[in-house]
Amino acid sequence: MANLKDIRTRIASVKSTQQVTSAMKMVSAAKLRKAQDAIHMMRPYAEKLNEILTSVSSNLDSSIDNKYAVRKDKEKILIVAITSNRGLCGGFNSNVVKKTSELYFQTFNEYSQKGKVDVIAIGKKGAEGLKSKGIKVTKSFLDIYDGMNFTTVSEITQYFMKGYTEGIYDHIEVVYNQFKNAAVQNLITEQFLPVKPEEIKEVQSGKGEMRKDYIFEPSMQEIADIIIPQSLRIQFYKAILDSVASEHGARMTAMHKATDNAGVLIRELKLQYNQARQTAITNEILEIVSGANAQRN
Amino acid sequence: MMHLEIISPEKQMFAGEITIVKLPGTLGSFEIMENHAPIISTLTKGKIKVKETNGVISYFEINGGLIEASNNEVKVLVES
Repeated sequence: MANLKDIRTRIASVKSTQQVTSAMKMVSAAKLRKAQDAIHMMRPYAEKLNEILTSVSSNLDSSIDNKYAVRKDKEKILIVAITSNRGLCGGFNSNVVKKTSELYFQTFNEYSQKGKVDVIAIGKKGAEGLKSKGIKVTKSFLDIYDGMNFTTVSEITQYFMKGYTEGIYDHIEVVYNQFKNAAVQNLITEQFLPVKPEEIKEVQSGKGEMRKDYIFEPSMQEIADIIIPQSLRIQFYKAILDSVASEHGARMTAMHKATDNAGVLIRELKLQYNQARQTAITNEILEIVSGANAQRN
Repeated sequence: MMHLEIISPEKQMFAGEITIVKLPGTLGSFEIMENHAPIISTLTKGKIKVKETNGVISYFEINGGLIEASNNEVKVLVES
């Protein structure tokens, strides 16, 4: 039987851990709300941009040249893994790392054999996780989450877009956690570049009837030149925001579970403690009684 | 009277009923009043001047953006 003091110390330590996890859960809940707000704020912009893109592309003859469109063959591939800087959020980061290495070693195996796959990590955990899997991380962006806004995220997007237009990369995939709700995140792999032609076509056929005769100023080409990169920036910004919200959601769930587990542990320890205490008392009484009996005789 | 919304990726900067809006178009500054023909245009760095129906005039600094107007609904997407 463990002694009383040991159990007392363990109870105290589990209790303080429980306090930490429940505080972290609260913090994550607050941050999650903020992250969700950011998503809601971005949505009207994204929707309108899409609408304009649709009106432009439905009025558009396919002659418009788009430097983000598909070209010839895949030569060099870039995988962007979006993770967080902090841990303690369940499978959030490891899922991204797992998926990325699956892409690297299986899906794009023939390219990676020839060194034609680059991996860029966003977030410290991804950079570390990928390195330990034996994947060379070409570049990592670690400090985007401090004071993050559309402009800072766009700078990174710009880097990818430049890589594509300059022909350094021919295919860019983004791996991240899509935010579903606080408890559920969907790990997804999204083709970032080239812009999928069927996406544009889909919108065209769907909204073709709503076509209005717009005046385009300065010209359709110039508007397209602005909208397409902007919608790519928005797409990536959305991926980052989703990832941030997912991170907090995942951490909230993980911390909630940890708090619950600590509660169970404390109950068990308390039972043990009371049993030990009762045994000690029984022993003591037994000693007193037998001592008294000994004196009487 | 028209309905105007100015939105950036991070927040909604303005929403309300207006009588006139002046925008820094790429080809030069222009104004939109009631019953303007449907238009999609690009904007450059400059100031948006908004006159609300109650006469209040407000300004917004932008670094560029897009505008879409149709059926007296004006939407301005800005990069701020």
